[in-house]
Amino acid sequence: MSSNTDAAGRALRPGPAHRWPLVVVLAVGIGLAAAPVAFDMFSKAPKGAVMIADFRPYMTPSRLAGYQHELAEIDAGVKQTDTSVADYLDGAGGRRQFNATYSDFAAFARQWPAIDSKMTELMDQVQGNLGNYRAVAALPSFRLFPWFFVIPGLLVAATALAVLLQPSCWRAGRWILIVLGVGLVVAPAVFQMFGRAPEGGRMIAAFKTIETTENVQQIQGYFGSMAVGQGAVRLEIVPALEKRGLSETRTSAQFPAVTQLDADWVHILNDMTPMIGAMSDNVPNYQAVASLPPFPLFPWFFVIPGVLVAGLALGAGTRTVGAPAEPTALSEMSTNQSTLSKGAS
Amino acid sequence: MIRRALVLAVLAATVPAAFLAAPAGAASTRTLHGTFKITAGSCATSSVTGSWFRMVYPGGSVANGKFFDNPDSECTTDKSYTLIVPGTQGGLVTGTYQPVPSPAFNSQGGALANGIIQPQSFTGIDFSISTNKVDPQSDQKVPAPSIKQSGGNLTGQVTAISAAWNKLYFNQGSPKPGGSTPGLTEKLSGTYYAKTGAYTLTWASAIVGGPFNGFTGVWHLEGTFARKR
Repeated sequence: MSSNTDAAGRALRPGPAHRWPLVVVLAVGIGLAAAPVAFDMFSKAPKGAVMIADFRPYMTPSRLAGYQHELAEIDAGVKQTDTSVADYLDGAGGRRQFNATYSDFAAFARQWPAIDSKMTELMDQVQGNLGNYRAVAALPSFRLFPWFFVIPGLLVAATALAVLLQPSCWRAGRWILIVLGVGLVVAPAVFQMFGRAPEGGRMIAAFKTIETTENVQQIQGYFGSMAVGQGAVRLEIVPALEKRGLSETRTSAQFPAVTQLDADWVHILNDMTPMIGAMSDNVPNYQAVASLPPFPLFPWFFVIPGVLVAGLALGAGTRTVGAPAEPTALSEMSTNQSTLSKGAS
Repeated sequence: MIRRALVLAVLAATVPAAFLAAPAGAASTRTLHGTFKITAGSCATSSVTGSWFRMVYPGGSVANGKFFDNPDSECTTDKSYTLIVPGTQGGLVTGTYQPVPSPAFNSQGGALANGIIQPQSFTGIDFSISTNKVDPQSDQKVPAPSIKQSGGNLTGQVTAISAAWNKLYFNQGSPKPGGSTPGLTEKLSGTYYAKTGAYTLTWASAIVGGPFNGFTGVWHLEGTFARKR
């Protein structure tokens, strides 16, 4: 009998002192791997990726500032038309006649303050979440999210299962589990999830009132009103000014806000319409992302299992177990069974 | 002998007549290959005549709206009608595609397709329609328009019709690519008078996706059908 064999001639190898920590690790691994299925992440996470990608062209400081500028431009044009242009065009009938003659504009001018307030508030909200959006966009792609759970989960579960079935591979298995556990703990820090995930959570919360069908339809309605109002300025009021003898240059000098709105309208449409489209198209994508577990919890979905896996692997302890010196298939099976029953006792 | 001759004469007279007289409700269905030439829309009278397009707001109905007002409409009494003017090919050609040109848009986002209809201004930007093998909005393969007539009624599909506006595409077919009829989408229907070729075609197509998601385009074309030679 040598020092690394027992009385039966079996090779002595280190195995786990307790089996239960490995059973818990196995459960943690299975839980981690199954989490994306439980949370329906395979269908929801790609929708989040689509939403992040669709918003990207609009979520830039210059583009968002551009929308604010365009709203201010419409506001100035509407106010100038409603005041100095109306005064200029007022006939003997005064303001009442102006409103009757340019009824489309008059109707729009009444709606505009509410539209302006709502749209400006919306743009403020979006602009205020630019940093949060960028934080989320900087995270690894949402499409990969489920696999961040599945791959480590399966590795942890497979390692734990292998050690439970073959305690003699405990030394290697233990190291693998510790490395996986530490990896799970460290990954959120590497991806700066502790900072970015709560920011993403804030963006999701802020968009709760924006990314709804009702809100999108309201904005579509505003678009219709704005088109009618601007159409009245472009097709009725500016020609009326010309009819009153104002040249293009004089109109521009006397009513610069109206001229500016008229000149920029197509650009405003070019700019705003696709954004409304992106908002509309992403209502279901937003709702899918919003129904995922709260973003601030995501780092902990890795850290807690990681601590458990590494801690249990360390805490399982080591004791020497026997294995046949020259194993055969049958003897190996019987040895494993006896080792398992010993461990269980 | 005389009796036999009489029987034969009666048979000769009645049998062909019986075959020729089609029973009621069994009118033959014929696919119309050719061009549905468009008569331009007009608001000259109190009611709109000719060909036109309207857009229903989400939550509205094809019959009663609410309809989107196009400030550029020539119909001063009801700006929800955008009049249609025939394009260089005279109208909608069945059995083939009238694809979007390249480039499809001018620098301002105005549509340049002018085969079926002439581009018309819609809120300041030109829109137009085309038919394409692959629908530009949904990226799905779609069949060329096909219209059948039976007993003076028109049926069929115009799935491939795509509206272009502001550098965006909106499928305006019926049924939609894939064969569905979502929202207020209504199947193509119409009338056809074979003697003169006069026709009317109407369909509605819900807009799926994009800035007008949930709106529905209502199309009414009328004119004369010219058979393909």
